[in-house]
Amino acid sequence: MRVTDTYKYGSWSLVLFTLTAPWVLPLLVDSFWVDIYSEILIWSLLAASVNLLLGYVGLLSFGQALFFGFGMYGVAIGVVKFDLGFWSAFIFGISLATAMAAIAGSLAVRLTWHYFAIITVVFSLIFYFTALSWKPITGGDDGLPFTIPPIISFGEYKLTMTNANFQYFFIVTIVGACYWLMYRVINSPLGRAFVTVRENDARAALIGLNVYLIRLTAFIFAGFIAGVAGALFALFGRYASASYMFYHVSGEAVVWAIIGGVGTLFGPIVGTGLMIVLREELSSVWDHYLLLVGVAVILTVIFAPRGIGGAFKVLAEKIARQQFSRKESGP
Amino acid sequence: MSSVPLLEVANVNKRFGGLKALQDVNLSLETGKLHAIIGPNGAGKTTLFNVITGTIPVTSGRIKFLGADMTNDKVHRISKRGLARTLQIKSVFANMTVRENLWIAAQSHHGVFSPFKNWKKCVRSVEMADIICEQIGLTSLADQTASNLSHGDIALLEMGLALATQPKLLLLDEPICGMGPAETEQTVIKIQEISKSTAIIIIEHDIEVVFKIADEITVMANGAVLAKGTPEFIAANSDVRNAYLGDDDDD
Repeated sequence: MRVTDTYKYGSWSLVLFTLTAPWVLPLLVDSFWVDIYSEILIWSLLAASVNLLLGYVGLLSFGQALFFGFGMYGVAIGVVKFDLGFWSAFIFGISLATAMAAIAGSLAVRLTWHYFAIITVVFSLIFYFTALSWKPITGGDDGLPFTIPPIISFGEYKLTMTNANFQYFFIVTIVGACYWLMYRVINSPLGRAFVTVRENDARAALIGLNVYLIRLTAFIFAGFIAGVAGALFALFGRYASASYMFYHVSGEAVVWAIIGGVGTLFGPIVGTGLMIVLREELSSVWDHYLLLVGVAVILTVIFAPRGIGGAFKVLAEKIARQQFSRKESGP
Repeated sequence: MSSVPLLEVANVNKRFGGLKALQDVNLSLETGKLHAIIGPNGAGKTTLFNVITGTIPVTSGRIKFLGADMTNDKVHRISKRGLARTLQIKSVFANMTVRENLWIAAQSHHGVFSPFKNWKKCVRSVEMADIICEQIGLTSLADQTASNLSHGDIALLEMGLALATQPKLLLLDEPICGMGPAETEQTVIKIQEISKSTAIIIIEHDIEVVFKIADEITVMANGAVLAKGTPEFIAANSDVRNAYLGDDDDD
């Protein structure tokens, strides 16, 4: 088995599980796990957004929840205040998040490392408190609940997200499209330029790469992905709330990305899945379950700096090498 | 056209606080020559490279490349004008393979802002990476991660990164520093080969090598140009001897 085959099996089993989850999960566990898996898929996009920055262009952001929040409020405000339909509200939310990323990014990516991390926290705090206090627009503490508009309506016939299976596959389609998009970008000249900047920004400039523009593009793309996650989560939960914009949420996404494996495409799904399942199972039993999360992060950073995704890669290479050497020494 | 010098450094000064790192440096370089800069440590050689490539801004003075003023241009813009350099402290993209290193250097001048094309299908840069690999003699290591290379191979790869951008002028900052005798000999041959098609400015401490390969030598001391001329002229110059060996009177 070649290394690439192992990746292929890993990725395909993830895809297969995702496509059959609404029927397979209820056979194994309680059927509310289908909803939890939908949630995992959505949140994994936020972790993927962190991963794009940290794993590919080398910027540690503690502010990705800001763009999640913008996507979320964009949808809710679009429906409640502007009476937008399903698709226009969805696109409005994502556009709002992407525009915010362009503004915040044009300032933030002038800095790197801790300065960059601090400015992303500051940005998300500013808008967190704005959202809390701007009650007429955002609903303040109460959040902004809304009734979900139909996706398509032909006279009497209406297709809405209230159909559980339909909602699930809508989420899967959008999340899948985002991962496909990330896959394409990562394997494009632009994606190579991201990695080059991550590896050595001074050298990258000397071979003619516009480091600022490359970082900004990555930041806007990451903001877009976080915005899609926020917009999806608004549609899934039928409300928007400032609490999802708090930097705790950004921090959680960083943890998910690190545990799943920065610099790997599907790492964020694995990390997010594991940590959300852990939260669902443990938080009701043990109040201080976050201690465990902390220990898990420390162990990951020390022993598997590339997270579960990276460990999987190492394992796959080891298996491939063993089989290769067996073939070599065989009769 | 031939009257326009390739590189023109005019009255360039660089101050770091009270330290005058460069003092009224004037330098004019014609196309197709191998130019060497020598001088004792702290003479301002690397600082001169840094201001030419835009890594640090000049305090005063102008720098022209092919007749166009590029003083205080952004680093990546200067690279796109056709000026490439290697660094004294060797630096490559460590977690990328040799081939990927060379590919991105070749692609950077053709634009990297295409988000959907597969990078392996950018044929021109893929071919260029192969050609440079061959040229610097790293073809057998093309799929190795750069961090696994030996010191000498990293120095070669760094030269490859500069070459892959197809420069008109190549600045080499101590390219053979830390190499063994065999590696040095090979690298010197490579530099001579490159100099047939590309103008080169080389900073080098190995005087033997410099006098063997250079068409023209500039001697710097204390941030200023002390002397400039052919190797024979420099060898006979008494100011240069004093700068390197101290005044005869001291003996």
